[in-house]
This record gives sequence, structure tokens and C-alpha cells, in this order.
Amino acid sequence: MVATTAPPSKPPVVARASRQKTPMTRKRREALAAYAFLAPDVIGLLVFVALPMVLAFGVAFFKVDGFGNYQYIGLDNYKLMASDDQLWSSLRITGLYVVTFVPLAFVVSFALAMLVRNHFRGIGWVRSAFFLPHVVSLVVVGLIWQFLLVDKRGAISKLLAPLGLGDVSFLGTPSLALGTYVVISVWFVMGYQMLVFLAGLKDVPKELEDAAQIDGASASQRFRFVIWPLLRPTSFFVVVNSTIGAVTGLQAFDLVYVLTRGGPARSTSTVVLYIYEQAFTFNNMGYAAALTTVVVGLLILCTGLMFAFTRGGRFDED
Amino acid sequence: MSATPFPARPVSRRSVLRGGLGALAASAVAGPLLTACGGDDPGGDGKDLTFWNFYGPADDANPQSKWFVDLTTKWNANNDVKVNLRYIVGKEYLSGTVLQTAFQSGEGPDIFLISPGDFLRYYNGGVLQDLSPQLTAESKADYLPGLLEARSVDGKVYGLPMEIEPLAMYYSEPAFEKAGLSEADLPKTWDQTLAVAEKLTGKDRYGVMFETLPGYYQNFTWYPFLWQGDGAPIKDGKVAFDSPAAVQALKFWQDTIQNKVAPRKALGDGGGDVVSNLGSGAAAMQQSGIWAVSDMRTKAKNFKYGIIPHPTPDGGKPATDLGGWAFVANAKGKNPEAAAKFITWALGSTDAEGIERQRQWNTVVKTNVPPRKSVQQAADAKGAFGEGVLKKFVSEIAPTGRPEPRFPPEVYQPVADAIQACQLNAADPGKAAADAAQRIDTFLQTYQGASIS
Repeated sequence: MVATTAPPSKPPVVARASRQKTPMTRKRREALAAYAFLAPDVIGLLVFVALPMVLAFGVAFFKVDGFGNYQYIGLDNYKLMASDDQLWSSLRITGLYVVTFVPLAFVVSFALAMLVRNHFRGIGWVRSAFFLPHVVSLVVVGLIWQFLLVDKRGAISKLLAPLGLGDVSFLGTPSLALGTYVVISVWFVMGYQMLVFLAGLKDVPKELEDAAQIDGASASQRFRFVIWPLLRPTSFFVVVNSTIGAVTGLQAFDLVYVLTRGGPARSTSTVVLYIYEQAFTFNNMGYAAALTTVVVGLLILCTGLMFAFTRGGRFDED
Repeated sequence: MSATPFPARPVSRRSVLRGGLGALAASAVAGPLLTACGGDDPGGDGKDLTFWNFYGPADDANPQSKWFVDLTTKWNANNDVKVNLRYIVGKEYLSGTVLQTAFQSGEGPDIFLISPGDFLRYYNGGVLQDLSPQLTAESKADYLPGLLEARSVDGKVYGLPMEIEPLAMYYSEPAFEKAGLSEADLPKTWDQTLAVAEKLTGKDRYGVMFETLPGYYQNFTWYPFLWQGDGAPIKDGKVAFDSPAAVQALKFWQDTIQNKVAPRKALGDGGGDVVSNLGSGAAAMQQSGIWAVSDMRTKAKNFKYGIIPHPTPDGGKPATDLGGWAFVANAKGKNPEAAAKFITWALGSTDAEGIERQRQWNTVVKTNVPPRKSVQQAADAKGAFGEGVLKKFVSEIAPTGRPEPRFPPEVYQPVADAIQACQLNAADPGKAAADAAQRIDTFLQTYQGASIS
């Protein structure tokens, strides 16, 4: 009798009570919050980076004419690369650009960071001035430098005229154009890299420097034996970041396109510009996609080599 | 904070570094790949057509923009199918990605503008609509010889030209006066050009200027010098670029740079921008097109200048290139027949209103040579070409012209590389011409599209 008169609503009540008895732990809540915060970035990366990369890899096996027509051609796009002289030329130019731009940008940025490391009156203004080029659109940067470098009449030609160099065309001479492009690129990125170095320098304990000084270490010795070793993770990041930027970053396309459009005589035709040309001038979308996958592969290889030479970035375990 | 959300997998600086660098590498190359996405269905009910162009509606509502706006307003007032303009900045339209990515994703405009240099690329892509069914015999006969043929395949017309833009040499009267030169010194030959340019070159000025930026436009401006020696990249379907005519034309442009009488880089928008170069005093002679007349009128109306035909080589014949854009319809658009009807109404109408519309475009809001005989007559009646540089363009220079070639990119690029190598990198013109010819020949052996020449 008792059993049959049990209230029918009891089980749900029990269930609610059960849920109330096991509240979400703080750990779990924090984990969920972390996932929620990460979700927009992860979704963005998946949709706008991962998915296009997979699609591009697929497109590389097709002949795509730019008008929505696809024809499967297997590995033909990759085979074509071997006999593509323009591709090798653009890779050589990109390589030259990387081996000049990366070290120069590193040295200049590091020097600037050391210069503005210590506080002095107006430090904020000085740091802002160095960083300012980086907030300007690269197209605008290109236009400004074009204006400065105008043949005969530009401000730089006027400055160099007393040295007999007023007739030099920095962007119109093949032997000078790439170097000019490197200098402008360094000018553009130096502020950003300076900030990265400054952040790294902030992590160098002042006590260590003070201790070395008390031990009689000179300024150069303090730099060599204290600051430099502790800055290696930052330096590594700057070098890898800079290399990737030099090969496929905005300055590898926007800047060179505005400044020279790959000229004069293809002397600044970087590999990204060449890919663009294949895609949008020749309508060889499939070949352009294949080239892109190769460039990604080369970048992964370069980055991997850097990790290997630096023992996987284990700087802090020396 | 005491709790650790992920105690079993601590996030080290190294893993953050690796993740960050991986994402950086991936994002750096992802941009261009996005263009691979897209669908084919244009959608819509075919009652609203898009017309992409680089004239209007512009923010400053300039006369050319207004012409385009008035054109579509008039059409829309009398037709069920409406045409909506979409303005794209000139540089983006000419050398950007907007048009290409739209077509790749099946979202190309219903009506758009096209230059002769791009004709075959779009025709071979199967996106150009045959305009012939909508084009009357009277209208066809009204076009000047060769213009429709340059936009036709197998007798079908795929584009209607809106203008003819011949090239000439502009010269600065103040620069000539300053150098103690007179009209009698205006060069007629290449040798004279080099000699006069040397006298005109000074501390702040170059004697002569040709385009130096690589691209379709540079090729377009160089062809007349090739034609003067009876040369051509392709003749009768076969490569003909490795010729004395090509070598001498390459060498002429090279000499202007080697003799330091021409700049390696132009000001403003490049070699075709007369206001920024000749008008600013940076160049004393400059090759450009008829469009520069209206530019000078609006931006440097007090500047004194004149024009001369392109100087010729010894034994050469006068030549110029007749550029000019055309309206075309997208065969894969929402309503290709209606788009074709709009184009033939806009540019091909032979009634008084259609002729006046064309006269306005070619001689009032812009300076062109009209592509149709009736429009030329109407313009003559209004005295548009009665005097000055326009008279010279129409009566002396345009008659020596040929329509701009419709070379596909695989032909245009080797020619462009040869020009650049010789002009700016002191390459041997003979070798450059031979290299280009070999590349063109390789392409022609497998080319399967419409006739190139």
C-alpha cells in the first residue's frame, strides 16, 4: 500500500536534487571558460586558414582556368615547376631578400631596443616614433617611399646630388631595386621587432646584470654573457617570424607590388608576386595553388631546421 | 588562482612558440587560397544586372561618372531589366583581383569593361556573350574598320568598343623654349629623338619619357615602335618576334635609358600620366594617349604643350596603337541576352539619341577618337576636332594606327620581359628577342583558343 501511494513526481525531484548536489567544479568551469575564449580564434583559424589550405592542396591537382572550370591533371602542376625558369628566378630573389632582410632587420631592431631600453625624458615619444612606420598601411609606405625616391626630383635624389648621386634611380635600376626594397622593409618592421626585443629585455633580471657589474664585467661582457644568452628565445622568435614574413608576409607582396610591381626587369619579382601573377594574370589558379603548397613546405622546412639547430627552442634549459 | 584547468598538459613557452609560429606560417599563405572557394550559381531572377566599371558612380561625381550614371538611369527608366553600376577603383580594376576572383567563384558581373589585351583571356574562359544577335547591320557598318574584328571570333562580335585611344608624343613648349629649341627641332626620327632629348635633359628634367613599369600598358605603348619596322610578335599564327624590327625597337628604348635622357621610373600614375610628368616639368617629351588631353584640360589647363606622331626609325613607317575599352556581357551571368541588349543600346544605337550619347562620351566628358563614323561626323559638326591637338590626333595620328593586339598573357609576358630586360637591364636586344620568341613559340604549339592575330 505504501509503495503504491508513492508520489509520481518523486523521481524528477530526485534527479534535480542529484544535479544540484554535483555543481560544476571550479576547475571545470575554468576549463569551459577557456574553451569558450579560445573558440572564436580556433573557428577563425579553421575556417580561414586550415580549410583554405586543404582546399588549395586539392586545387593543386587541377588545371583551373579562373572561370570556374576544373580539369584533373594529377601531379602535372608540380612537374611543371622543374622547367619553370621564372619560378626559380623568383625563388632566388626571395632567398636573396630573406638573407639580407632578416639579419639587417634583426640588428637594427635590436640596436633600437637597446637604445630605448632605459628610461629617459621623452622615451615614450622616441619609442612611438620608431614604432610609427609599422602602423601605416604598406600601400601608403610604398607610395611615400616612391615619392621620396623619384628620379632626379625626389628628396633622396636631392640629398645625394652633392655627392654626384642625384641621377641614381633606386627603384628603377635592377641592381639597386632589391636593396632598396630591403631597406624600406627594415624601416617598416623595425618598430615592431624593437617592441618584441624590449619585451624580451624586460625579462632579463636586473640583479644578474648588477651582479656581473659588481664582479667587474664590462658593458660588452655583460651584454655577451648575461643579456644575449637570456634573449635567445626572443631572438629565435624574431628570426623565425621575420623569415616567414619575408617570404609570405604582407611586405613580400603589398610593398613590392606598389613599389616596383616586380620590376625593373623582374629584379624584385618575389615568389609570392610570381604566384599572384600566375593566378591573376595567367589565370593558372591550379599552378598557383601548387606553388603555394611548395612555399608552405619550404617554410615548414626552414622553420624545422631552425628548431633543429636550436635544439627545439630549449633555450631555457641550458 | 589556485585551480589549474589543464594540469596534465602544461602550456610551456616552447609550445606556445611552436603553435604561434605554425599559425603564423599557415595564415601567411592562406589569403591567396581563399579565392579557390565559391559557387557557380549566379542566382537572381535576371531582372537586376550588375555593371562593373572604373568610372562611376564615383564620389566626386565627375563628368565621366555622371555619363555612366545617366546611361543606366535612362535605360532603367524604360526597361524591366535594371542595370546597377558598381564602381571599382581604376587600379584595382586594371591590375587587381576583384574581377578575377568574382569570375572564379561564379559571381562575375553581368556587364563589364574589357581592354583588347584581356579579350582572349575572357573569351577563351567561355564567359563572353555573343552580341551579334542584338547588333543591327546598320550599327555594325557604322564602326570604323578593324574595331569590331578585334573583338570578334568567327564573325561573332563579343565586345563593343566605347572609344579609340591613339598614342602620340606630347611635348612641353616651355621646356623646348628653355632649351632654345623651336618647332623645327621636333624629332621625326629615333636618332633625332635621342639628340633632342639630350638637349632637353637637365638637372630636374628628362628629355623624353616612355613607360617603365612592367605590364600590359607598357607593351601597348611599345608596339608602335615594333610596327614601324614592320615587326609583330605573331604573324599568320606563327611567332615572328625574333626579327630586326623587334631588335631595333628594343634597342631604341634601351638607348633612351643608357643615354640618360629618359627616367627609369615615372611620376604619378606612370608613363601615361601626362599631368604628373610633362605637366610638372619632369619630362620634356612623353608618350601617352589621347585621354591625356582631357586630363590636361581639367588639371593643367594653362600648361602649353603640343603633340607629334611617334618618331620613326630610318626607313620606317608611321604607326600608333589604337587602344580603347569595350563593353562586354557575361555569358554565364544572370541574363546574358538582356545584358547584350543593354550594351548594343548603350554603344550601338544609331538613332540621334544614341549618337549624341556617344559624342558626349568621346568628345565632351572624355577626349577620344569616336569609334563610329556617325559619331565622328556629329563631333566634327560641333567642331570637336577642328583645331589643336585633337585635330592632329584625328587627322594625322589615328589614321596610322592599328587596333591594340589581343595577345593572351602567355604572349604578352615574354614580350614584356624582353622590353624590361633591354630597357632597364641593358640586355642584348637580339638575345632578348630570341628568348621571347622561343617562349611564344612554345606556347603557340599547344594553344587551342581563338585566333590570336
